[in-house]
Amino acid sequence: MSPSTRSLILLLVAGMSSAVALRAEEKKPYTGAACAADAIAHFRDEVWTKVGVRKCLTCHKSGGEAEESKLVLKDPSKSEGAARDEAMRHNRDAFARMAATKEKDQSRLLLKVTGKLDHGGKDVVPADSAEYRVLADFVRRVHNPKGTTELVIDPKAPPFFDGVVMMDDRRLLRRVTLSLAGRLPTDSELAAVAKSGTKAMPAILDAIMKEAEFYDRLREGFNDIFLTLGIDGNADATVLSYEHFSTTRLWYQKHDLSSAGDAAAQTKARYKLADDYRKALLAEPMRLIEYIVRNDRPFTEIVTADYIMVSPYTARGHGIYDQVKAQFKNPDDPFEFVPVRLKALVGRTKDDNQDSATGFYPHAGLLSTFQYMRRYPTTETNRNRLRARMYYQHFLGVDVLELSARVSDAAAATAKHPIPTMQAAECVVCHKTLDPVAGAFQDYWKFEGVYGKRKGGWFKDMFAAGFEGEDLPAAERWRALQWLGERTAKDPRFAVAMVEHVYSILSGRKALLPPKDIDDPLYSARVRAYLEQRRAVEGIATRFAKSGFDLKAVFKEWVASDFYRADGVATATKDPKRRAELDDIGLVRLLSPEQMERKVGAVFGERWGKLTDQLATLYGGIDSKETTERATDPSGAMGSIQRILSNDVACKHVARDFARPAKERRLFPGIEPTVLPGASPGSDKQIRLAIVYLHERVLGRYDAPDSAEVDRTFNLFAVILKDAKEQKGIDKREAYACRQGGAVTDDPQYTIRAWRAVVTYLLRRSEFLYE
Amino acid sequence: MRRDFLKLCGLAGLGLAVPFRASESRAAEKKDEPYAGPYYVVFNASGGWDTTYLMDPKGVNNINRLFKEGDILTKGAHKYAPIKKHAQGGMCNEDFYTEFGDELFTFNGLDYSVNNHSPGARYMATGKLDSMAYPTFAALVAACRGPDCPLAFLTFGNYSATGNLVAMSRVPYLPSLKKIALADAIEGNERSPYHDKFALDRIEEALREQNATAGTSPRLPRVERGENMLYAAQVNSKALQRVSQYIPANSPKDRLAQQAEIALASFRAGVCVSANLTIGQFDSHANNDPDQMKLLPEFLAGIAHLVRRAGELKIRDQLVVVIQSEMGRTPTYNAGNGKDHWSIGSAMFLGRGIKGNRVIGATDEKQFAVPLDMKTLKVDKEKGVRVRPEHVHESLRELAGISDHVLSKKFPLGVPEKERLRGFWG
Repeated sequence: MSPSTRSLILLLVAGMSSAVALRAEEKKPYTGAACAADAIAHFRDEVWTKVGVRKCLTCHKSGGEAEESKLVLKDPSKSEGAARDEAMRHNRDAFARMAATKEKDQSRLLLKVTGKLDHGGKDVVPADSAEYRVLADFVRRVHNPKGTTELVIDPKAPPFFDGVVMMDDRRLLRRVTLSLAGRLPTDSELAAVAKSGTKAMPAILDAIMKEAEFYDRLREGFNDIFLTLGIDGNADATVLSYEHFSTTRLWYQKHDLSSAGDAAAQTKARYKLADDYRKALLAEPMRLIEYIVRNDRPFTEIVTADYIMVSPYTARGHGIYDQVKAQFKNPDDPFEFVPVRLKALVGRTKDDNQDSATGFYPHAGLLSTFQYMRRYPTTETNRNRLRARMYYQHFLGVDVLELSARVSDAAAATAKHPIPTMQAAECVVCHKTLDPVAGAFQDYWKFEGVYGKRKGGWFKDMFAAGFEGEDLPAAERWRALQWLGERTAKDPRFAVAMVEHVYSILSGRKALLPPKDIDDPLYSARVRAYLEQRRAVEGIATRFAKSGFDLKAVFKEWVASDFYRADGVATATKDPKRRAELDDIGLVRLLSPEQMERKVGAVFGERWGKLTDQLATLYGGIDSKETTERATDPSGAMGSIQRILSNDVACKHVARDFARPAKERRLFPGIEPTVLPGASPGSDKQIRLAIVYLHERVLGRYDAPDSAEVDRTFNLFAVILKDAKEQKGIDKREAYACRQGGAVTDDPQYTIRAWRAVVTYLLRRSEFLYE
Repeated sequence: MRRDFLKLCGLAGLGLAVPFRASESRAAEKKDEPYAGPYYVVFNASGGWDTTYLMDPKGVNNINRLFKEGDILTKGAHKYAPIKKHAQGGMCNEDFYTEFGDELFTFNGLDYSVNNHSPGARYMATGKLDSMAYPTFAALVAACRGPDCPLAFLTFGNYSATGNLVAMSRVPYLPSLKKIALADAIEGNERSPYHDKFALDRIEEALREQNATAGTSPRLPRVERGENMLYAAQVNSKALQRVSQYIPANSPKDRLAQQAEIALASFRAGVCVSANLTIGQFDSHANNDPDQMKLLPEFLAGIAHLVRRAGELKIRDQLVVVIQSEMGRTPTYNAGNGKDHWSIGSAMFLGRGIKGNRVIGATDEKQFAVPLDMKTLKVDKEKGVRVRPEHVHESLRELAGISDHVLSKKFPLGVPEKERLRGFWG
């Protein structure tokens, strides 16, 4: 990237994070204060974003591999507000000191990064790289601040969303009700939006977030993240360890089912009992999330809750049914869940009894659930590192594996040390972060990792248990995960990670990551896009924390945001940079199999029911085990399923809808099969109004009867009738498969089949298949 | 009508105002035909394989407990580890090299540069370490060679990013393809179409018009990409009906063979360009030798299955096979008899355009990479270059004839001219 291009970058960063745009009118001649602000801005936007956070911070920080060096940095993402600004100033000063110090006429900073002067991290920045040029430019600025100070902001850059058209309130309402409640908007919701516009949305959302369907969606969305449904085997045997629940976990085998009938009926009932019980066991973690959100509890409880959720069935497995049965409204409902605090585990042998200063299991929200342990198991060699990695990803939004950087010869560096994970810089980068958290899980080791201390004690050739440089006190070991959860909840990255989770639930994709390739000609545009989204994420996160971690507020904020509402552009742009900036803007989410089923149910009154099992996987679904990420773009196989769905759903519903009284119809309340195009102006008008209605119901479009879109659908209907008229020997009845369930059978003028073709056409369109 | 659609498809996913080049338009005109090859298959030994028990045997410095240096076997230019006595199932090296050595090309001394699974997997799959946006080679070649194939890029796991160029297809079971092959017929029965043919034709026509009209309106890049990919997916999906005839009556039991059968049926039907096949659990931090002796033979058996069955299906001469992992294993055993992550390893290749019976590059007696003279392809400790994934990917793009494709240029690998591998494929 050329220096001139770099100087035009509009970056709004703080530790690759929150930002305040300096507008054109703020550009002033050099003054001391302005210079300082510009210097910080330049450092933040150029040096920190492109080099510091990626190449230096992992080692040069308190607790890092290079904490003893002269360059010790602060991580701005771990603080907020003024503290974050202060961290950036601190980092700028530290870099400037290093840049100003010379060794034989060369800047110490430039020598170190290229592996000279015995740099522990070796040559982290090659001398011919773009990163090096950024640092060299910084060194020049440090030596000559007046001569080189310049604004890094493009004074001509328009606001980020300039020219982006936002979705209107009616369509936004439909998007929200379908996404979060799996239904179409009600008349009263539409009236509220018509009257008050966007201002009506918070109250509507409050009501939606009380509906049962919202909690189905919430659990589904968070399972996409935590994947706790993806535990292999029968949950009664995997979630509940034999060592601690041997007398209770198989309760269903002896449960009295005599009321079910004869032996065969009892066997069938027992299968169902076992199936429901296992489903309920797997559901416990996501029910915890539901409970927290439904009861407006601080969302930090996902790492601090001193309870788990149990149903009448799972309570029996846990051996606490008698203790909690009074709390259930319906003790026969396998999926009614209530919170409960377990007692410390009692093993079959004394050695396997759980340590507890209180006599209770040290619950730490999801972290300490048996399901989380089993979904992310450990081994003698993995040593809880998978758990630690997932912990960072799930609760702090950090991909620890990405902390490691390329080095000139990783193998040689590794081979020098007897314990590379504690001694080799490129290993320590990750392991100094990862291993202490792995140590916090140390007592969840035996019995497939559910609970139990490792024989011989915890590993000595690992960094000791703790969190981010703080050691776990010995007295806290029995409640290590609670200790970890308490620190997690206070870490600013927690709120950010949760806001990103909600974004992924709403958008179907992860929040943007900082672009890494600074040689990319579109790098500055991608950075701008990242930072714009980052600003939204962090702004919502700050308010989320201030609200007492009210997750519903996060949903409301995202729905109101430009990121959720962006719908189009006023004018086409071919400028690659602007297109790169807007590349991720617009929801454009291909509906998942589950969402698709709900949408069909909302529009047609009945789910399709076929997007399950293998077909769901083929349609990009997940099984939470092997396949854990949903497909975001349609393959040919998915295109084929869309065609089947559009054909089949239309087949099932069109003739049936016409068989109902007009007032009860979902698709054709204003037209009869006898109305033909071209018969009269009145009939054409009637057909057009029917199409307008269908467009709204199926596609969420609000088209005028004389619009081009309605023209196209009208023409489709009319031309099919014309073609049919020209066919010889055509059947006067609807196709056999499409006249089931009380549907209209006779179709003398082919209108029912033509309307079915219209519905098929609409179901294949992006407005239906995407959110 | 088909050509208009193809033009849209060619741009689908680009998200950039990239001119559609004349040569690609000409190629697109023929796309009603089944895609006839080459077919690209990338085998991934996920978790990190022990190359010293396969194509880069050592037998010294306690690197291998199962054999000594003098036990190392050869087949033509290849040296390989003797594992017949220890292999648990699958196909041992001895049999693999006997059958495929003449067409196998090995590169040793590849510098993965990182010691971590996910960055390593990304780097090996894309040739780019410092970007999350790059497509895997398999996705890129699918987008360049056959964007209108309904299952252009098949994946069964491992890193599978597409760079928004082409949709990723996951087909978990062969029978599931049968279910969707005839989408416009009730229960897949060709004699019971949902719509009369004239009505279906009108539906398709309306959809095409609607898509073309949408293309004339200003749209967000993401909307444009989504609508184009959706339209392409639906129209292209009709070619899936060709797959049914190639689905074998019985599905094999082995993991890789199952994946291979899905890929082969799709190749043979002309609906697929590339497939990413993978098995995991190579991460042998404990008990390295028993684990590798189970997994390497399973891996080789999967490769052999693919190549043999491709022969039966008469498409073997169109196969290009890349065999790789995201890292190697250390030259020393840890306290648990395992081997940890090692950033040096190997890759193997065979198939169309690749001269076999060759080994290029090397590791030394301590399993460190030896730099390579990129022109002579001889090791040169002093002036050579450490060969990294981007070098190999640059060569793969050349092999596939897509180096200058507009989509490849969108994702440059940044290999300087002087560092390009010359004559790599023989």
